[in-house]
Amino acid sequence: MKPNYILLFILTLLWGCSGPNASSSTDPAKLSWEEIVEQGRGGVVQMMMWQGDPLINAYMQDYVIPEVKSRYDIDLKLANGQGNTIVSILAAELEAGQGSSEIDMVWINGETFYQLKQINGLYGPFTDKLPNSEWVNHENPFIGTDFQQPINGMEAPWGSVQQAIIYNSEMISEPPQSLEELASFVEANPGLFTIPNEFTGMSLLKAMLMDIAGGPEAFKGAFDEGVYNTYAPQLWEYLNRIKPYFWKQGETFPAQLAAMHQMFASGELAFTMSMNDSEVDNKVLQGIFPESSRAYVPAFGTIRNSHYLGITKLAQHKAAAMLVIDFLSSPEAQLKKQDPTVWGDGTVLEVENLPEEIRSQFENLPSRILAPKREDMLPRALMEPDPEYMIRISKDFRKFVIEG
Amino acid sequence: MYKALGIRWFLLLTVLPLAAGLIYALLYSLGLAGILGNGFTLAYWQSVFAEGVVWRSLGYSAYIATASMSLACLLALGLVIKLRTAFQKGILSYVIYFPLAIPAMVAAFISFQLLGKAGLFSRLTYALGLTESLQSFPDLVNDFWGIGIIFSHSLMAFPFLLLLFLGTYEGERLGELKQIAKTLGAGEGYISRKIVAPILLKQNFAAILLYFIFVLGSYEIPLLLGREAPQMISVLTIRKLQRYDLLDKPEAYIIALIYCVLVLTAMVISLRRSKILQKN
Repeated sequence: MKPNYILLFILTLLWGCSGPNASSSTDPAKLSWEEIVEQGRGGVVQMMMWQGDPLINAYMQDYVIPEVKSRYDIDLKLANGQGNTIVSILAAELEAGQGSSEIDMVWINGETFYQLKQINGLYGPFTDKLPNSEWVNHENPFIGTDFQQPINGMEAPWGSVQQAIIYNSEMISEPPQSLEELASFVEANPGLFTIPNEFTGMSLLKAMLMDIAGGPEAFKGAFDEGVYNTYAPQLWEYLNRIKPYFWKQGETFPAQLAAMHQMFASGELAFTMSMNDSEVDNKVLQGIFPESSRAYVPAFGTIRNSHYLGITKLAQHKAAAMLVIDFLSSPEAQLKKQDPTVWGDGTVLEVENLPEEIRSQFENLPSRILAPKREDMLPRALMEPDPEYMIRISKDFRKFVIEG
Repeated sequence: MYKALGIRWFLLLTVLPLAAGLIYALLYSLGLAGILGNGFTLAYWQSVFAEGVVWRSLGYSAYIATASMSLACLLALGLVIKLRTAFQKGILSYVIYFPLAIPAMVAAFISFQLLGKAGLFSRLTYALGLTESLQSFPDLVNDFWGIGIIFSHSLMAFPFLLLLFLGTYEGERLGELKQIAKTLGAGEGYISRKIVAPILLKQNFAAILLYFIFVLGSYEIPLLLGREAPQMISVLTIRKLQRYDLLDKPEAYIIALIYCVLVLTAMVISLRRSKILQKN
């Protein structure tokens, strides 16, 4: 008798796993924009995004959510999660053979785009359906190409940024511009510099690798084993030579950027860094960083990249997600986002092509003070190399520098 | 009848999910499950064994857990022996419960604020002229010996052990036992070392062992206060699970499997031995 209870229990569990769940709505790819608006109106959109910055959260909560509600009666719901979390969830859903996803829309960039393509987790192409896509500067290689991968309509550009190195001008008068200057700086001022062992730090290592290779040309296109094997050992040799003068004598490295920011704020470090060139202004405005903080791009350059919005393959509300993404790409929403007091995220629109009125609003945005102007940073911008470089740099940095 | 049914349900709700998880991990590590699995392969297992990071990580985790538990036990024993009455009534008898309510993440953060180079102790020694600058304060977090991790874990474990020991002290009537030993001519130190401490430790062996395993697998504290290498076992597993290379995922499952098998084996052996000890 008794084992029957158990059998029943297991059957109940299994039943729960295999309910018919397929979405009944038509694939928006076959619809006109008017029909997409009709289908998407009144929907609920689950968006997964990194929620680690109060300004970004405020932009979404206080501006975007009410706007899409009033325009399309859409309930936009935010969930916290970035890169690997998104990939894990979508992979688990696909592995379980689920018919629909908990997540409709994601905020991603290059390495997540690459992973989502590996697991075939994205819906699309969809961007040419969006009316506001007309204003997006797809010709710009920093926007139309994501880590050397053409975006092909599978993700919509949302913002464009460049890595900036942040330093405390009270502790440093002239920040180092080259690898040699950085070496002599840390030797003279031990303990004040380090490289975070995460995305931002790896981006700096990419720029250093390109400098060692004599420029970014060798890193165009697909991953090249020969190029990597020629130059990477020189980078590890360089870092191992100067790491005794790093924070904690280079015996360990911060695992998160937030920890590095905190040590910069408390004066333990003289440097931190950011993938958002406006972050220094944000953080000083919020009173987190000291007022003597400044951002700069060293002469060897830094990575410039864009971040994007994607729709998941199993999304339940694709049409509604497209309406939200179209709004986020609109001149109005992009203008608001670029304001340094709001978020300070660079627009992906070709401002020169915009209608006169909104163009002048873009041109009259309050400019940031503590970071260089965008146009002054551009000549020192480097394109993201193939994602495989990131994977290799991350593994070898651990193997040859952290554990070496 | 009801008892047998209860046991079945207990096993169903505890052992079955665990076993299912382990089997899935095994399949994943052999390339038989998962979205990127391409059929049977031993490549991931070979790569984990060739890399050797997992053994260093296990050794480091064992060191941290041993050091933390030894410190916490010593502290709790000392307090039970020397200050027992103070913890039985009055304000201390309440205060002792507070640390049990602190989540690991908060404990880690407090340690960071106290022990970091820009932390409270560093500022104090600087203000007193003992250190020349904040940077010259010794490395107590993210340090080689895991001082910050051990500090946090001991701090969290010792109130728990103290409460356990106080309970055992009453339950085993150690006060009376002490009196008898005294009338037989034993000194205070001898009684503490040869009677009280061994009984407290032996009676609570299972609880101490379980806490040891909890520390062994802890995540938040070593994440914030540890180093990038070696990493404690949970931090290593999550790193393998979540970094940029999706092909590292099977390795994460392998590490989790090795850890589970080791811990379960160690637990079964030690609990058996402790039962034998208690019988004797």
